[in-house]
Amino acid sequence: MTLAIVLVVAAILALIFILGVAVSRNLQISADAGLTEQIQPLDIEAFRNLIDPAEDHYLRRRLSAADFRLVRRERLRAMAAYLQVAGRNAAVLVRLGQTALTASDTHTVEAARQLVNQALLMRRNAAFALLRIHLALAWPNSGFAASPILDTYERLNGSAMLLGRLQNPAAPVRIAATL
Amino acid sequence: MLQAHSLLWHYLWVAPNLLLLGLALLIWRRGSAREIPAFVAFAVFSALGDLAVYAADLLPSVTAANFWRVDWASLLIESLLKFAVIGEVFSRVFNPYPAVSKLGRISVSGFGVVLILMAALLAAFSRGDSNERLISGAHLLEQTVFIIETGLILFLFVLAGYFQLSLDRISFGLLLGFGLSASAYLGSWALMTNAHLSARGRTLLDFLNMGTYHGCVLIWLYYLLVPGKSGPKPSVPPPDNNGLEVWNRELERLVHP
Repeated sequence: MTLAIVLVVAAILALIFILGVAVSRNLQISADAGLTEQIQPLDIEAFRNLIDPAEDHYLRRRLSAADFRLVRRERLRAMAAYLQVAGRNAAVLVRLGQTALTASDTHTVEAARQLVNQALLMRRNAAFALLRIHLALAWPNSGFAASPILDTYERLNGSAMLLGRLQNPAAPVRIAATL
Repeated sequence: MLQAHSLLWHYLWVAPNLLLLGLALLIWRRGSAREIPAFVAFAVFSALGDLAVYAADLLPSVTAANFWRVDWASLLIESLLKFAVIGEVFSRVFNPYPAVSKLGRISVSGFGVVLILMAALLAAFSRGDSNERLISGAHLLEQTVFIIETGLILFLFVLAGYFQLSLDRISFGLLLGFGLSASAYLGSWALMTNAHLSARGRTLLDFLNMGTYHGCVLIWLYYLLVPGKSGPKPSVPPPDNNGLEVWNRELERLVHP
């Protein structure tokens, strides 16, 4: 009987989740209109500085082991905050790109496909990097490099610029400008 | 009204299967069968299998053992085709994007293995509701299939949601129908297999299952035959020169450090 109760509760939760997805899908269509406003600005230079291994080497040489661990943890937390914003921006760009996939112009569709792909890569990498950061928080002395994330983010900006230019030549790079 | 072999009972067993066959025929005639071949196969074979079980239930010449054999065969074919449809939806959602298609495949396969192990473990701990292995085995198989099916569908929704990938109308309709039916069936089969229900209780659960399935077939009819409304497309707003300058300056620094 216990097993039956567990499975019935699981089934009810699954049912609620699926119905929730169905409802939120309908609401999402109207929410898509203000997508570009959801993109948060991100200072790539500051992020680049945070993930620079040379900075870590310098701090390791100059600080005591205990102080280095403290500073390193602070830097890792800051990195995590950046990656969360980058991941959210990537998610917005996926939605933005997907709405442009239905355009009649083939160049726009191709640019949108490229943007979605880059944004997905970014979101995936951001998730993996966040996982590594949380592991590194436990062992601050371990090596960590987020350079591939940065490369993806730069490519993402290029894709967003191209899509913006194709969708509206008069307003070329507003989306990328806010990234 | 809510009794076995009542008019409603006959309707709920037969009508969804006829609707499903009609849906498969319409998809075929519209030339969209190539888009969702697994679902068309599911619609045809599942409907025919269910109708065969229905006929076996009504025909006095069919023995109880043979009825359960027909039920087993129908269940096995239907289950395989359901997983094929889930795989088909997964391909429609993730394959266009190489950035996540491999990750999606690996994670769905991994999660599928975990679900199979979990469902097998739960089946091992289930008491079974009959001394006849043919009957309790069929019920346990139903429970196992619905655990895996519900888990896979939830995982697909979560994975697509995490990556903000919007499911196209057909994929969403198929997943919604299968998800609702799988979770409703999971609950009722868990009760049938593990709780000693009265005959009345079993009949009521039968009606719940049949009614849910009818609703799911109507969902598939709606999503596959009625064209969807397109939502508002976000257009790129007017240029923001300040933001543009800031961004270009940052890019310059990256390109020429």
